[in-house]
Amino acid sequence: MIDPLYLEGVIKILFVFVLISAALIISTRSLASVLNTYTVQSFLLAAVSFLLYLMEGKSELLLLAGLTLASKVLLIPHFINRIEEKIKIRRDLDFTYLEPTTSLLLSIGLILLSYAFLSRVFGDLALSRLFFFGAVIGLSLTLMGMLVMFSRRKVITKALGYLSMENGVLMFGIFVTELPFILEVLIIIDLIILVLLTSILAVGLDSSIEEYRKKIYKLQIWNGGDAL
Amino acid sequence: MIRFYLLAMGAFLALGLLPKSHRLMNALASGNALLHLLLTCAALLTLDLPVRYGPSLYLDHLNLYVELITALGFCAAAPYAKGYTESLMEEGELDPKNLKLFYLAFNLLLVTATAALFSDNLALFWIFAELTTVCAAVLVAILSARENIDAGLKYVFIVSGAMLFAFLGLIFLFTLSARALGEGTLSWTELMEHASSFSPALLLASFAFVFIGFGAKAGIAPFHTWLPDAYARAPSVSAILSGLMQNLGIYGILRTYALLRVSDSAPQASFILIAAGLFSIALAAFSMLQQRNLKRLIAFSSVEHMGLLLIGIGIGTPLALFWALFYMLIHVLVKEALLFAAGILHRQYGSNLREDVRDVFELQPHAAWTLVLGSIAIVGMPPFPLFPAKFFILLESAAVSPYLTLAVLLLLILAAAAFANFLLNAFSRVTKEKTATEEGKGEGKEEKKGETRGETRGEREREHGKETKHRKKSHQSHQNHQNRYTVKAWMKIPMLLMLALALLLGIWFPEQLKELLEAIVLELGYV
Repeated sequence: MIDPLYLEGVIKILFVFVLISAALIISTRSLASVLNTYTVQSFLLAAVSFLLYLMEGKSELLLLAGLTLASKVLLIPHFINRIEEKIKIRRDLDFTYLEPTTSLLLSIGLILLSYAFLSRVFGDLALSRLFFFGAVIGLSLTLMGMLVMFSRRKVITKALGYLSMENGVLMFGIFVTELPFILEVLIIIDLIILVLLTSILAVGLDSSIEEYRKKIYKLQIWNGGDAL
Repeated sequence: MIRFYLLAMGAFLALGLLPKSHRLMNALASGNALLHLLLTCAALLTLDLPVRYGPSLYLDHLNLYVELITALGFCAAAPYAKGYTESLMEEGELDPKNLKLFYLAFNLLLVTATAALFSDNLALFWIFAELTTVCAAVLVAILSARENIDAGLKYVFIVSGAMLFAFLGLIFLFTLSARALGEGTLSWTELMEHASSFSPALLLASFAFVFIGFGAKAGIAPFHTWLPDAYARAPSVSAILSGLMQNLGIYGILRTYALLRVSDSAPQASFILIAAGLFSIALAAFSMLQQRNLKRLIAFSSVEHMGLLLIGIGIGTPLALFWALFYMLIHVLVKEALLFAAGILHRQYGSNLREDVRDVFELQPHAAWTLVLGSIAIVGMPPFPLFPAKFFILLESAAVSPYLTLAVLLLLILAAAAFANFLLNAFSRVTKEKTATEEGKGEGKEEKKGETRGETRGEREREHGKETKHRKKSHQSHQNHQNRYTVKAWMKIPMLLMLALALLLGIWFPEQLKELLEAIVLELGYV
């Protein structure tokens, strides 16, 4: 068996990378790299839950890692990539309300805030150091995703912000408690529906209505454009 | 059990995809709504509540009551949607190909909302509530216009983003229960049993998170920003948004607040509710004051009413809760009538703006009177039933603080003034054409008189000619308004029915309703 302390160290390093990925999603302007960052972030999440499985041996964690890998590392990024190709937006230059530098400073504040908040709330809850940090990182990731949704203009980036928020919620869930596995599945289904909806609407937003029909047709989401 | 319900409804919806004719699709949607209404009534009358079927299906007075309101709203909206979508398709605003999707989302919305209401498990409730958001967003975005897509996206992002916070709150709750019971649960009934043994600080934290999510769903400020856009852009379904989605949010808040009532953190939670309520009312009242768009006016009025509902819940006395629950029902009745009328005016004038409304009493008398009476009802004038509801909530709020009562009262007056201002401005606009015809008539009479008196006719004829020319001109300039939009019976009847029902409840308070509301108050643990 692998030494649990060693695994804990690896997980802590992964935490740092998760935070870096969140910061990159906030500040990067190229859509392709935002998507890549999201993919990496999801992969990190899957890795964290796999390592936790090695530490604790709960089979739900292994399933969760597999599910995350399938849906968030492969399926959703692939789909969004196709959408991005269709709508031909390469970069998301517009920021509303907040410029990247300010939002990065703000997100440091958010991390500190969630640390302070959770250390107060979890004061009487006996969580180990690692799990407490996991919860903090999860909450900060959620808040930073919200920041992305606020400050970005393009729908695709907003959707990626939402997805990264959801990564945060999932991470929080892993470290604070063991949610029933069926719940995780339901959330991911919900996520996929939402991504489908928003990205299809994003295609519509990017074009006039006639073009929209053609693009939808090209995507072959619905055969013959019967439904939408 | 919920599985069986979903399977049955799934089969039903698949059946709904078959028909090609609009009439049949609409009949299915209306039938679906009616079925839900009848089943709810039957359950209320026959079952010995609360009952539980299987692990997740749970019926009690509260969720049956909310379902009753929801199904009633759908019953009115389904026939109305037929006329409305038909006229949208004539104008080319709605692609006929999308009609099927429209009805699919419409039916699915009711099904998911029902599933959400009756699931005992808060996590299931969360998932189904999320799905209702998706369906509603489809309904908002369905028109072939960029603004609609914009409004739909805004709706999805704000509500779903906030709902993720609600999920964080649920994780907190789960942890709490795992600590207190040994095994985690999110079943509302179990949580309710053991809530007194949970740690108050964590319970408050979970409530705050859940409140963000469901507050956004209910359209409570500052998470209300999706609401005016969605209302203004959605084709007639905004009525459902007000009737259903917002109540669903309030329902979630009611359930989680009931958990806190037995713990030590109840005062803080009720402070959160009252503060958010007051903020919503204030923000809505000031936004309404100079509002020129009718649907936006109604939307902000919804924000205001949700605020008042929150205050009613937050006060925490049985009487306040009783009237807040009653308020939920009446608000839906009146709001739907108002939105239906606004929809008819939108069909007539092609816009929601105050400036475009002209000759309203002549062109659309039913819609105009519904708007007038509905506005009187919504600002809480007797004999409409919102009067006693508002009155008792305000009366109870004095126990919290007299300043609160005063502030709410002033803001409510402001909102009433906003409605009066809008109606006076919009409905007093009468085109010159009308006065011209009247003058013309008068002239005709005078002409006769003149003839008998033997006065010079030339001068009169010249004047008359001028008048007719003027009439033609004004006729041309308002030609688009003069084409009267014929309102189909199935658009008129639901609107008038809702208003009549509201008026009826103002005059006569049925004994069964009273018993039902009292049972809910008891079930939620208010003594």
